[in-house]
Amino acid sequence: MRSRKLAVAGAVGLLALGAAACGSSSRAGGSGSADAPLTGAGSTFVAPLMSKWQSGYASATGNTVTYGAIGSGGGIEQITNRTVDFGASDAPLTPDQLKACGACIQLPWSLGAVVPAYNLDGAPGHIKLTGSVLADIFLGKVTSWNDPAIAKLNPGVRLPATKITPVYRTDGSGDTYAFTDYLSHVSPEWKSQVGTSTQVKFPVGVGADGSDGVAGAISKTDGAVGYLTIAYVSSNGFDYALLENAAGNYPEASIKAIEAAAATASSVPPGGVSIVDPPPTAPAAWPDATFTYVIIPTDSDKAAALRKFVTYAITDGQSYAEGLGYGTLPKRVVADDRAALARLGG
Amino acid sequence: MDNPHQASSVDEARAVTVSALLAGEERLRRRRAASAAVDACAWAAALLAVGVLAAVVVSVAVKGAGAIDASFLTQSTANFGGGGIANALAGTAILVAVAALLAIPTGILVAIYTSELGGARPAVAIRYVLDILAGVPTIVVGIFVFGLIVVPQHRQSGFAGSVALAVVMLPLVARSAHEVLRLVPDSLREAGLALGASRWRTVVSVVVPAAFSGMVTGALLAVARAAGETAPLLFTTSIFPDFVQTDPAQALPNIPVTIFRYSESPDPVKHAQAWGAALVLMLFVLLVSVIARALSARGRRRLGSAR
Amino acid sequence: MASAPGVLAPPAAAGLGRRRGALDRLGDHGLHALALAAALASVAIAAGLAFKVFSEANEAISTFGLGFLTTGDWDPVHNRFGAAQFIYGTAVSSLGALLIATPLSVAIALFLTELAPRGARTAVGTLVELLAGIPSVILGLWGILVLGPALQGTIEPALHAALGWLPVAGGLFGSDYSLVGLFPAIVVLTIMTVPIVSSLTREIFATVPAAAKEGALALGATRWEMIRTVVLPHSRAGIVAAVILGLGRAVGEAIAVTQVIGGTAGINASIFAPADTLASRIAGQYQGAVSDIQASSIAYLAAILLVLALAFNAAARVIVRSLEGRTEA
Repeated sequence: MRSRKLAVAGAVGLLALGAAACGSSSRAGGSGSADAPLTGAGSTFVAPLMSKWQSGYASATGNTVTYGAIGSGGGIEQITNRTVDFGASDAPLTPDQLKACGACIQLPWSLGAVVPAYNLDGAPGHIKLTGSVLADIFLGKVTSWNDPAIAKLNPGVRLPATKITPVYRTDGSGDTYAFTDYLSHVSPEWKSQVGTSTQVKFPVGVGADGSDGVAGAISKTDGAVGYLTIAYVSSNGFDYALLENAAGNYPEASIKAIEAAAATASSVPPGGVSIVDPPPTAPAAWPDATFTYVIIPTDSDKAAALRKFVTYAITDGQSYAEGLGYGTLPKRVVADDRAALARLGG
Repeated sequence: MDNPHQASSVDEARAVTVSALLAGEERLRRRRAASAAVDACAWAAALLAVGVLAAVVVSVAVKGAGAIDASFLTQSTANFGGGGIANALAGTAILVAVAALLAIPTGILVAIYTSELGGARPAVAIRYVLDILAGVPTIVVGIFVFGLIVVPQHRQSGFAGSVALAVVMLPLVARSAHEVLRLVPDSLREAGLALGASRWRTVVSVVVPAAFSGMVTGALLAVARAAGETAPLLFTTSIFPDFVQTDPAQALPNIPVTIFRYSESPDPVKHAQAWGAALVLMLFVLLVSVIARALSARGRRRLGSAR
Repeated sequence: MASAPGVLAPPAAAGLGRRRGALDRLGDHGLHALALAAALASVAIAAGLAFKVFSEANEAISTFGLGFLTTGDWDPVHNRFGAAQFIYGTAVSSLGALLIATPLSVAIALFLTELAPRGARTAVGTLVELLAGIPSVILGLWGILVLGPALQGTIEPALHAALGWLPVAGGLFGSDYSLVGLFPAIVVLTIMTVPIVSSLTREIFATVPAAAKEGALALGATRWEMIRTVVLPHSRAGIVAAVILGLGRAVGEAIAVTQVIGGTAGINASIFAPADTLASRIAGQYQGAVSDIQASSIAYLAAILLVLALAFNAAARVIVRSLEGRTEA
């Protein structure tokens, strides 16, 4: 009997010790200091740029930023649970997600292009596609590369008869959001059957985890086509299809094309903004461009550190954008962001 | 007159005997052939198993050896281009060490309870619970510890990863320790009590030392298992920095998650690094298994002589 | 041989006539308390685990009910979720693996107990156990980079040519060869389960009474006949237990399967096409659910997985325990 009481006492004591240790170590982050180490997670879209920011910020200030590229969906979930200090997402928070996140703000800190990258033996470079043909490919209605619908857009070009293997993201992805947002704009069938989200039910194709996974799947499969941000395409030597924009042009996904798309949005409201399928008034715009956002809790005890890092990212950090194929944040967006950051925390 | 008939019946008898013998021999040949065929199948199966093991080990060894050099082992992971696995090695070492510290004493205590101190019914119940724990898929263990520690603490941590690994290790340690304790003959326990030692003295000074090398074996095998587990770490310590991190209150880089990430990458450099990390991990697991086996053989000999 | 715990139970009366020091009493109670605390901790962990999974799944369970198990949809946009395609993937990959692993393991166990010369026995036995020790992430790495391309290039076309024409079963071997899919997952799971099933089967075979085996041989049976008439019938239940245990392991594997299966929703007739299992969908989508109901649905998948894995383990253990009782008698 006594041993039983001792056992319970011991167990309770251990639990109390554990809880105390847990509680104390969560305070060890150095609240309020602008030099606290930061941890963030989310978008793979911004990961190459984030890598430059991490090293640039560390050499400029000596502070470390740890980032896990687990996909925009993961980033949203982690910041909602407050298991990281900031989240990164290409997909703006839905009203439900904004509510679940509590006192969170989302600020655009970069922008780039999602492109249909493909791997096709014997194919010409920069195959031309329209949005609706691309939608049909991912709906499973166009199944081989020499389909008349594709041939019509690429006159005089010999297309191999290879089977098309669509590749998509299985994890919660901002690239998926930007891609399905674009397809929903240009294909009513896509909009009603599949919809727009960070995770959708793709009717056909092969799934892969993360941008790396998609790039890996594309590189190993002849005839594969998937959607990736431009930085992953150039680093892997893929080719990408040119998309017809609303003005009927086929621009490359250059920085100018990305910034032309961004210019169609006069400002970025708190709920984010979609810049896919810009109107014909932007003749040189890339049709599937997107802002990418940082999600910060306004009640974070690392407000000072967050403010310092995000300010770096939207000012000095923008110098890395061009080398990786990202657009530079428009001046008015930077100004809006700085105003929002000034209101952050205490 | 009867001669031809007699001759034919003798012939018939001879013919029947010979054909019966031949048939019997024929059947025997067939039976032996069947047995030989089965022998061949068994040999083939064994060779297939060894062959597959060789295929995997050789792949890892050949591709991994090419990637391992001094800089690979001393530099940390780098996102784009180059780098090594130094931070992942350090992190895994800490993760496994802390997990062992949590799981091994607890597992041995549980085994002492089920083998020595508890009543028969509670012991069976606890062993049943341990079997259940052993059968839980490790990804579910990861979900459990994520909700238990990562969410309330508002960050991933090496500690959470170690707890998840410890949950995986605990039933292994407890089960093997229990079996070894059960092998200790009752005569030793009775001798201890007869000499005036109390229950706890008997357990601590007589029974456990007799089972010691077996317990170490079980612990080592559990450690080898924990070093290679990925799923428990996926939600608890997977967002980690590109430098050596030794504070278990932060997320620790580790080998299994690094291999997992690199294996899905399109970059051949990352593939080579994944093979290198896999080789290091495999060598570690191999080394620990060999030591555990050697200890177990020695322990069996000692226990055998104690009877 | 050791008996059930009870040898160390304190004597009923102070029959030994010794005075036990206070230190001894404290030590006794202390050790008992510590050991009991550890045992209770393991119960708490198991209970907490089950509670956590089921409470997270609660929203999905109350929304979808048991229909979740037969719904083949997974649509985060329209909030329609179901487990059917993942149950299918889990079933085909695990059962396929055990279909191949069982005869292989029985053959290996026979080799190790009956056929192998002394030296080969330890060598091969150790090697098979080493196979068990390979971390699953390394098997997955090998699966992606070595096995996948090899299967896609040579074995899958060969299987399709050889068996694809069969009326019903031929649909399993379609022409859509892929680097990832159910087939590489089956191969990887087979590699993982063979050591488990073969080592347990080997232990079962070792309990066959030598007298019965020698008797059969003395009566003129060939080795195969002796195995068929003495060893296998004796071991039937044990082999079933080993297979069920292997199934439990295969069902729960997340990492290596995620690496080689392609994470694609949908039920495809061909095993060469990409697919998804319960465990690998959880690994891929647990972080990053779009809505609460999706997160809860993933927890529902975890609950199904938990029940399956535990059911298999429990069934196997029941058989093994009853066999242990039988052989000890």
